[in-house]
Amino acid sequence: MTARRFKANETVDFAVVGSGAAGGVLARELSQAGFSVLVFEQGPRFSPADFEHDELKYFFLSGLTVDPKSSPQTFRKRADVPAQRPGGPTGTQPALYARLVGGSSNHFTANYWRFHEIDFRERSVLGAIPGTGFADWPITYQELEPYYTKVEWEVGVSGLAYASPFDPPRTKGYPMPPLPVKSSGVLLERGARKLGLHPFPAPMAIASQPFRGRPACVHCGFCMGFGCEARAKSSSLYTMIPEAEATGRCEVRAHSYVYRVAINAAGRTTGVHYFDADRRERFQKARAVVLSANGAETVRLLLNSTSNGFPQGLANSSGLVGKYLMFNQGAAAHAVFENELNEYKSVQVTRIVHDFYDTDPKRGFYGGGGIDGRINPQPALWAMSEGGELPRWGADLKARIEAFPRSMVATGHTTSLPLETNNVSIDPTLKDAWGIPALRVTYQDHPDDLAFARFLQDRQVEIMQAAGAQKVWRDQVQENEAGVHLLGTCRMGNDPATSVVDKYHRTHDVPNLFLCDGSSFVTSGRGQPTMTIQALAFRAAEHIGQFAKRNEI
Amino acid sequence: MSSSDADQDDISRRSFLLSGGGLLSSVWIAAHWPAIAAAAHHAEDAAAGPESAGFEFLNTAEAADVEAICAQIVPSGATPGARETHVVYFIDRALATFFSATSPDYRAGLTQFRAAYRASNSTPGSFAESGSDAQIAFLKTVDRTPFFETTRTLTLLGMFSSPKYGGNFGGAGWKLMGFADQHAFIPPFGFYDREYTGFIPYTTGKPA
Repeated sequence: MTARRFKANETVDFAVVGSGAAGGVLARELSQAGFSVLVFEQGPRFSPADFEHDELKYFFLSGLTVDPKSSPQTFRKRADVPAQRPGGPTGTQPALYARLVGGSSNHFTANYWRFHEIDFRERSVLGAIPGTGFADWPITYQELEPYYTKVEWEVGVSGLAYASPFDPPRTKGYPMPPLPVKSSGVLLERGARKLGLHPFPAPMAIASQPFRGRPACVHCGFCMGFGCEARAKSSSLYTMIPEAEATGRCEVRAHSYVYRVAINAAGRTTGVHYFDADRRERFQKARAVVLSANGAETVRLLLNSTSNGFPQGLANSSGLVGKYLMFNQGAAAHAVFENELNEYKSVQVTRIVHDFYDTDPKRGFYGGGGIDGRINPQPALWAMSEGGELPRWGADLKARIEAFPRSMVATGHTTSLPLETNNVSIDPTLKDAWGIPALRVTYQDHPDDLAFARFLQDRQVEIMQAAGAQKVWRDQVQENEAGVHLLGTCRMGNDPATSVVDKYHRTHDVPNLFLCDGSSFVTSGRGQPTMTIQALAFRAAEHIGQFAKRNEI
Repeated sequence: MSSSDADQDDISRRSFLLSGGGLLSSVWIAAHWPAIAAAAHHAEDAAAGPESAGFEFLNTAEAADVEAICAQIVPSGATPGARETHVVYFIDRALATFFSATSPDYRAGLTQFRAAYRASNSTPGSFAESGSDAQIAFLKTVDRTPFFETTRTLTLLGMFSSPKYGGNFGGAGWKLMGFADQHAFIPPFGFYDREYTGFIPYTTGKPA
């Protein structure tokens, strides 16, 4: 079957906004279940050959990511200071994501940690944290487990089941063995084991052997920030999207920017307004709408879709649309060893440590996280690394640059507490190139988030020292002023007063409008959200499909 | 606040972001990747050889001083530094094209740098014309200024990004770094994974 092309006046069963980690899964699951699905994507569609190893273009000139020139955003730390476009009139994006078919699943690093059981019920176990929106999820790990397994087997994850004593229960092993260990993995493992910790092979959404028609990784080293020209990275572009199109019931419409969700007098959505590639305004009729536009853009779309019935934004009777934004925290520790590691080769991460995953109340602050061994493999970004004790210029900097092959980093990935004051909102004056009000991010880390990042960094330093590093440098733990993990902004819950969607991702306010992406998170996890975003999407799709078949939408 | 102070604040803000930090992964990107991008879109790759183009943004005297600063950031020696990798041509081209939005602030900072150097120096002559010791001594007094931060960022970006942007001449930056520009590798990748004998499971009571 070839991909469907819907006619302009056709009504589709589902309009899915966003083709990334969540949108891809929903498109595939709903179309395979027999529904007609039209997926909207703001950006272009790349073929594998379109992806380049061009650090400057991708990291500095928005080669894949949302472009500050056409889609500006503003940032402020607190509501009482003015929001600014960071970096001056042409700079930066506080809510950073990839804008192309497959979304940020193209350029992610592909760390695929499952959440642990504790992530879903931390509030019950630890108690309230005053001044925060710390809460339990309305679902448990056990409810989500089958869908984690689905991600591993249908999207494609390489790993070693039961290798970690901290792993949550699972019904099935991984479909592919771990990727070949790198020297950073060997050294992380060596140091951690010496300290009595339990390092284990990293689960990665990258094919370690041929998988479902895709080839194995060729170890080019350009994962983080780049698209995979080998099709080994399990991005939606290569996994869910083609399988959705193969049903003959799904169309992925690139260069199509949805800017408003339509609502009728009965309080039901009737479809979406969008700009086509020529910036013409179009309307697509749909029986139901699913927003998977990411934890920032889903919010902007809802808040820009005001109407008489929804004066403060669609599905926002709780006032919580956009609130509780969580970026995750964490810091790096750099090390140099005697011999060559050549960390610029192959996938970023091959070994991780989860011994500090859980919060320990004895520390005096909330927080948990994981550690991985890696390097920032791109030469210019690595050379630019600054902060803490790293040399900045002169002979010392040159010596550090020449030690690149002997260098690695132990990176911490840690929690962010949900704060109502951290949020995505609409900038009161700034508009994008289409005339649509722009995103504004307000964010300042909770002191506990910084405290735990510092705590974990100490462990990272100890591991590298135990591994025999000649020298270890610490980075500064810094306050987030931007994020790629866009979490928590339309949180799920049972109570319509304290959440935006229910446990099936249906908005409390609009019966045929669903939200499924990082916005659904209640807590932040430990810095690797995409696996859980996709598990939620598989689960959501199953329930949404059942509702539709029972005529309950 | 005078307009030049305002400019300085703007430069300060941008350069702070430009200079980035050393974090990695999600956090590194979160803090710095988006913030680094200070420019308009790059239309397409810059043109052919750097010398043939000449300088588009900097004048000759400015270029000499910028190159001298770059050469202190990554010095020459037994191995190539910023000078041999044509970083100043990259910077000039970047400011003329894909980072042109930064160029007014950059020129303001450069002008201020050159004036401050003349004021601090009892003997006549530009920064570029001075000896290395004098250059280093002066840079130590200004190496937290926005202008220096931006120059540092551009130096490293020019030296280690693709040669097609005008720096990293002949891939010499990558060679200095020990980075191989290839599209595929096979394990072992380094010294330590060569000797690795396999993952030894923990006794967890679960199937291994």
